[in-house]
Amino acid sequence: MNLIAKAKPKDYKSSVKPIWCPGCGHFSVLNALTKAFAALGIDKDDTVLVSGIGCSSRLPAYVDSYGFHGVHGRGLAIAQGLKVARPDLTVIALGGDGDGFSIGGNHFIHACRRNVNITYIAMDNEVYGMTKGQASPTTAADWDHSKLTPHGPGVRPFKPAALALASGAPWIARGYSGNPNQLARLIAEAVEHPGFSFVHVLSQCITFCPEQTDWKAVVSEREAPALTDADAAASLFLHENGFQTGVLYNAARNAWPPEQVERQSTDITEGFRL
Amino acid sequence: MSNQQLGDFLAHSVELESEARERYLELAQAMIAHHNTDVAGFFNRMAEESRLHLEEVAEIAQDIELPGLKAWEFGWPEEESPEAVSYEAVHYRMSLRQAMLLALENERAAEKFYRSFADASSDGETRHLAAQFSAEEASHAAQLVKMLGKLPPAREHHLEEDDQPHMPE
Repeated sequence: MNLIAKAKPKDYKSSVKPIWCPGCGHFSVLNALTKAFAALGIDKDDTVLVSGIGCSSRLPAYVDSYGFHGVHGRGLAIAQGLKVARPDLTVIALGGDGDGFSIGGNHFIHACRRNVNITYIAMDNEVYGMTKGQASPTTAADWDHSKLTPHGPGVRPFKPAALALASGAPWIARGYSGNPNQLARLIAEAVEHPGFSFVHVLSQCITFCPEQTDWKAVVSEREAPALTDADAAASLFLHENGFQTGVLYNAARNAWPPEQVERQSTDITEGFRL
Repeated sequence: MSNQQLGDFLAHSVELESEARERYLELAQAMIAHHNTDVAGFFNRMAEESRLHLEEVAEIAQDIELPGLKAWEFGWPEEESPEAVSYEAVHYRMSLRQAMLLALENERAAEKFYRSFADASSDGETRHLAAQFSAEEASHAAQLVKMLGKLPPAREHHLEEDDQPHMPE
């Protein structure tokens, strides 16, 4: 049986067992990630997962590769630094919506424009789950399920795909924790993309947002090929319902660092001569 | 052609049983972490059932070249393999009855999947094995129905979070 010889998804899991709430979408992301690794035949010794803080940021501990459970919102900064120093490694940054779009929001937009060859998986459940259910940057304005925001946060939520596009991200996909096999394919494609790839995952928190179990009914796979035109993608991201999955945008752009053109050496003292 | 059908069928069967086993083990572990020992015990038992079925499939498949399908290349009727408990269907406060009903749903989905494979196959051996596996899933479902019948009557069960954030007056 030839399957025995190949690495299986479970071979990429560590001996540390997740303590996420049963029903949490992050289990599915973990499974999708290990399925993608198995499909790509990723060498775990050449792979690093970097995260910030939050429920989702626990994920590197559950994977048998190198991992860095970093500072809140700083996963992307660490991941980019690592990739620039060690371009031979496969570097994946992970985190949640609070970690990525609020505390780490500035790192997110600059990672998009800088276009270092890493993958960023944002596990978006529209809530701060680890601290027991506060509104996050992607929470709906009228979400009144928390005693901390009894009338809803009252501010418009970020649209992560639109934010990524406006910031210069060249590759944007959206997956759903209810479809881990499709998500595995998206992650595999993201890892293979030669530049910054952003995978926005709708990952439900059934503990603090039980209404998210209804996502299954509204999530749909986008049949059309990935858009390559930024104007068309902007129109899509601003007007869609946020529940379309697939590779949504894929534009050719050279990854950082740009090719350096050798300049003729000049005598710097000449420029200062009086 | 026949070998291809059989190989394809067995690859699906191996994946179905492995995923079911791993999912039950994963959820059992998570239930233990959240002190729901009744459901954890039940999920562990279901994982053991899947392990036994996986061993049976692996033995049949040991001399057969199986296609190395990627996770997204399997032809499941829904998003996931039929016997894998859907992540969003569980809750750390779920009752044993709810867990059993969920497992029953998955056994029936697996039974249906194997039966449809038997109906669609033109290869005799594949048809025979698929019908056999379907019957085994049906017998698991019948056992679960019996176990459900022995449970005390359902009580009102709520899933809400009791431990709300601290709100100083």
